[in-house]
Amino acid sequence: MFSKRLVIVILMLTVKHLFSQNKQLLFGFNDIPQSVLINPSTTLDNDWFVGVPLLSHFHFNFGSSGISTFDLFADDGRDFNDKLQSVIFQLDRSDFFTATQQLDIFSGGFAFGRGIEKDRYLSFGMYLETDVIAYHPKDYAILAYEGNATNIGRVFDVSDFNLSGEMVSVFHVGLTKKVNDKFTIGARGKIYSSVFNINSTNNRGSFLTQEGQNNLLIHTFNLDFTYNTSGIRSLAEDDNSEVSDDIRTLRRRLLFGGNLGLGLDFGFTYFPTDQWTIEASLLDVGFIRHSKDLDNYAVNGSYVYEGINPLFPEVPNGQTAEDYWNEVADNFEELFEIDTTATKYTTWRPTKFNAAVRYSFGERISKDCNCLAEDSGYLNAVGAQLFAVRRPRAPQLALTAFYYRRLFEGLQFKATYTIDSFSFTNVGLGISADLGPLNLYVLADNVLEYQNLARSQSNSIQFGLNLVFGSGQ
Amino acid sequence: MLKSKSKNRLCFFIFVLTIMSCVEDVDFDQAEDLTLTPVVASSVVYTDVEASRFSENGIELEQVSDTIANIEIFTEEFVIDNLVRTELIFEATNTINRTFGLQVDFLSNSDELLHTLSFDAQPSNDGSEVVTESTHVFEGDSQEALKLTVKMVITLRLYPSMDGSILDENSTGNITLRSKGFFYLNIPV
Repeated sequence: MFSKRLVIVILMLTVKHLFSQNKQLLFGFNDIPQSVLINPSTTLDNDWFVGVPLLSHFHFNFGSSGISTFDLFADDGRDFNDKLQSVIFQLDRSDFFTATQQLDIFSGGFAFGRGIEKDRYLSFGMYLETDVIAYHPKDYAILAYEGNATNIGRVFDVSDFNLSGEMVSVFHVGLTKKVNDKFTIGARGKIYSSVFNINSTNNRGSFLTQEGQNNLLIHTFNLDFTYNTSGIRSLAEDDNSEVSDDIRTLRRRLLFGGNLGLGLDFGFTYFPTDQWTIEASLLDVGFIRHSKDLDNYAVNGSYVYEGINPLFPEVPNGQTAEDYWNEVADNFEELFEIDTTATKYTTWRPTKFNAAVRYSFGERISKDCNCLAEDSGYLNAVGAQLFAVRRPRAPQLALTAFYYRRLFEGLQFKATYTIDSFSFTNVGLGISADLGPLNLYVLADNVLEYQNLARSQSNSIQFGLNLVFGSGQ
Repeated sequence: MLKSKSKNRLCFFIFVLTIMSCVEDVDFDQAEDLTLTPVVASSVVYTDVEASRFSENGIELEQVSDTIANIEIFTEEFVIDNLVRTELIFEATNTINRTFGLQVDFLSNSDELLHTLSFDAQPSNDGSEVVTESTHVFEGDSQEALKLTVKMVITLRLYPSMDGSILDENSTGNITLRSKGFFYLNIPV
């Protein structure tokens, strides 16, 4: 049963359901060491931690702004073609499918600093991230579904094809520094190694069929289409059919043998009063330069086609229809010729912005004073968070209200309500539990949709295991 | 004891939520039924012939014709597999006081005549535009014939006048021909 579900989840991905990158549950959840990846100025509630390798953070998220799997694949007896047609027309060109996945390979961190109060925290690690976004290629879908015959006068927009996908391994080192009692800042440097990249986000042009003058129809092609890939060619090559070779290639790329890039995270946390917190972070301000293992495709050109004009050779100085036809055929061939190049290109990482306002309340009454001086001393917190991520067309935004509660010593809970492109009913729940030095957390988005995953337009799940020492322990 | 029990329960609850979530009544096999049925509209041939061009050295030409060879589009594998119906629509606009016959012959690689279509463009008695429309549907055998076509011969035939007059270098008026095709595809994906 479980494996069947797994298959379905994978299938859902192949239907290009994707993810947002919003980690509203993890943001500010400073009992979990990985929260420092969302804001490098987050003060972790420990002296040092080591993530359990490969298990310290797993994040998986998909989202589809317009439809759910259920809309298309529901076993409801309706004709699939009808359903697909309604989906094609119902969705807008700005609707998108996204998927994100993140897996910590290793992570760790420790507090340090002069004096008794350690005012700095160094955190580091390496993770693997996959990020895909595909916009609904509406005009392409309509053209494939209906053709141009019923769309005379309609401008088919080449830019409707907008897709980017990548897998990168990221090595990072970050420093959190307490400036004073009211202010903490943090920054993180990142080295990206691209495992593969697909980028087709700068397409332009149009295709138009109109009523003509010289002939009944006139077709105007104006195409500027590019599809860049890096890291795909060597894996796809036939003469490299040995799976073990591919694995070796992938391993090398994970360890900085791929196309490289640099990035930075910044953040600050401000405590205007004992109970109020304001914090913000900017993540993945960075780029990757693709210069190895490239395969780029481009279709470029303009052409106006009215038909074939037979000039009848009996008529003097005539170009024959055959000449004319050959010219037309050549022009079409030229227009649709796919230029394959290996031009180097640069991609910008999906930069993310997080901000939060938090109000803490309900003082903790400790019977046996264990002098956890760093502890805020409040049991509850409520607040609002804003998330934005740079996407090829327009930023994707989400607004979250949350409630945080320390249930017991070593057991914390956070609930979120999020409004985003996917739904207005996204309730998320997360817990972090400390069992001795073992910290375990599970954060799940859109929990109301778990009754039927297929109906859900987005879901994310994060979990992880860390060994945490000091402070809150 | 109580604490850890509650803790465990909570953990358990979240795990159950994650793992036991349901995916109900979804059938991905439906995608196999997907068939695309676009209709492609395309300009075909067009021409504009002046009346005076039907005269050469004072002799009226009976017909003019032209050949388009090396047509690859109908014999493309994609077309052979997926083209199920074709409509060719011709529109002749005549301002000459003569009837013209338009004929299109479809020929195979070995110049075998596969199919012929023809229609007459009606004369204009007063020099005004007389529009004649003609639609030709290719289905079944004719559709199969089209899929073997690599050459088209277009012939414009001038029928003799009722009163014996002929077109000369000073004759006015023209005949224009415009056309388009609707190509019905059926593409199982």
